[in-house]
This record gives sequence, structure tokens and C-alpha cells, in this order.
Amino acid sequence: MPLPGRTLALPLLASLAAACASGKKQLYAWNGYDDALYTLARAPQDNERYLECLKQIIERTETSHDKVPPGIYAEYGYALFTNGQLEDAIGYYARERDTWPESRVFMEKMIRNTQRLRQGRPPAPGDGPPAPLPATSRQIDGGRRAGGDLP
Amino acid sequence: MRRLPVLPAAAALALSGCATAPPAKNYDAFRAADIHSILVVPVVNNTTNIEAPSLFLSTLPIPLAELGYYVFPTHMVARVLEDEGLSDADLVHQADPVRLCGLFGADSVLYVTIESWAAKYLVLNTSVVVSFDYVLKDGKTGATLWSEHRTAQYSSGNGSSSGSPLVDLVAMAVSAAVAKASPDYMPLARRANDEVLSTPGVGLLHGPYRPDRDR
Repeated sequence: MPLPGRTLALPLLASLAAACASGKKQLYAWNGYDDALYTLARAPQDNERYLECLKQIIERTETSHDKVPPGIYAEYGYALFTNGQLEDAIGYYARERDTWPESRVFMEKMIRNTQRLRQGRPPAPGDGPPAPLPATSRQIDGGRRAGGDLP
Repeated sequence: MRRLPVLPAAAALALSGCATAPPAKNYDAFRAADIHSILVVPVVNNTTNIEAPSLFLSTLPIPLAELGYYVFPTHMVARVLEDEGLSDADLVHQADPVRLCGLFGADSVLYVTIESWAAKYLVLNTSVVVSFDYVLKDGKTGATLWSEHRTAQYSSGNGSSSGSPLVDLVAMAVSAAVAKASPDYMPLARRANDEVLSTPGVGLLHGPYRPDRDR
């Protein structure tokens, strides 16, 4: 039986803990990315919700003119891709690449493979890791693609 | 805060290794590798809790990025590996690190294994234990640059305060969570990461995006 006091105390504790944690200077404004990742880990099939969370994080971060932290544009691009929005996905992969040069190899592969999928061509061998099929095609062929050219 | 009567006033968070000073780590190879990016691959699970690996994976990108590295998008990486037939984290961990990093253009790869993720309910005492192995390998040579093992334990009802307000707050949050049907391991997991990754002399060296990078 949860006591009423505990119900009230928990959020207070959480915010206090957060206040303490932010005592050390952070490099980035995360804007709830930890919650988005946690929610996705709890409900991996809920891509819609993840998509919406990431969209808001990006909007908030860009509005405050902060640099969008590593991986967020890419995750958003991939969530768009999963949603069947291939063109939009490519745009966000490009933003990840331009914001974070360390991601260039991976993002360019994803862009190339997504472009091939848009044009209905299979990914070239040796160009792994290729982009998987978007959700819509997955439903049609009823499953994941067979293993490609990774080790 | 600690006097709230509904909270277990006597809660302590014990982190192993806090009491004794660990032997000094040799960071020469780490420093020489000059890594700028970290590929975090799916977590190997040596426990029976099926949720543990994805939950724990979700706690890793932020502390690593805050250390000054480019961190590859963990969820996307996991899905791409899965679509390539590497849905089993054990297979990913067994793959050649140089090849793996090469595919993503990563400077290094972080492997984490969960050794324990468990709660024990006793009459007067509930304890939660999480335990992790962390290994960072060089993407160019495959050599191990850094490794650490950490156990974090929370135990209710052993009647002591840690002396640190933050640790006590975390302990209270864990304690309240444990009281519910399903224990929330996340505060403990985040605490373990913080201790392991960000403690100077134990954790990772600061990366290139940190203005205070220790070269």
C-alpha cells in the first residue's frame, strides 16, 4: 500500500536528485533524452511515441540555440525511417553527419542505402551495414531481411 | 528531507569499492589511442531478467557523451545489427572489434555485460544488487584500452546513512521504488555508471569535446 506521503515525496526527491546532479556543469542540454530512451527500452514497439519525444527534444534544443547532442538526429532519422518516411530520414542522417563528423562513415552508408531503397534497388554488397526495410515493407514481407554482409 | 517520516530514514546505498582505494590505472594506451568516438554495442545479459539489457543500454549514451565523446546512436546501432543477423549481443561481443568499428567508422567500442540485476525480498530487509563489466576496445588495434567491474547494492533497513546527501537521496529513491511490486533498478544502474565512467583515476579519460580534456 503506497502511503500518500510517499507519493508526494517521490517527485520531490527526483527533482532534488536532479538538482544535485546538475551541480556539475553539463556539456549538453539533453531535454529529456534519458526519459525518451528509457520509455523506448520499456516499450520498444512504440516507435510513434519515441518519434514524438525525439521531435520535441530537437525542437527544444534548436530553439534554445544549443547543439543537439550526439546521436539524437540519427535516432530521429531512424525512427522516421521505421515509420516509412525515407526522405525525411535521409535529411536527419545528413544533419547528424554535419553536426558530428565522427558519424560520417555510418551516416553516409545509411543515406546511400536509404536512397537505394527509395529507388527500389537492393543495397550494394559490401556497403554494410545496410538500412533495413521500413515498417511498411516489413509488414508486407512479414519479417526481417536475411543477414547481409556483416561479420 | 531525511526526516520525512514516511521514508525509511535508515537507508544506505553501498557501492563496493568505495571504501578501499583502487590500484592506480595505467592510461598510457588509452591516451595514445586518442579516441574521439565510442560505439556502444548491445549489452550481454548473464541474468534471467529479460528487460535488463535494453534498460541498461539506455543509461549509457548520456554519461559517455558528457565525458566528451561522440557516442553512436545506441538504439539505431542495435536495430541495424539486428537486421544484419546480429540480434544476439553475445555474437556482437565475439565479433572482431576492428571490423565492427570499421563498419561504423568508430574509434572504439564499449562492451558491457550485466552480471547481476536482482532483488531479494526478506522480512526486514529488501536488497537490490546490480553488477556490470565494462570493457573499452580500440577500433584500430582491438586492444583493450580500459576495463572496470562494478557492483552497486542497495539494502533497506540496515540503519545507516552514507553521509553523502546525494547518495542518501538516491538510496531513498531506490528504497521507495523497491517498495513497489517491481523494483526500479535505474537509479542504481545510473549510480554505477557514474561511479565507473566518470570518477577520475577509475573512469574514462575525458574526450575531445570536453574543454577540460586530460591529455
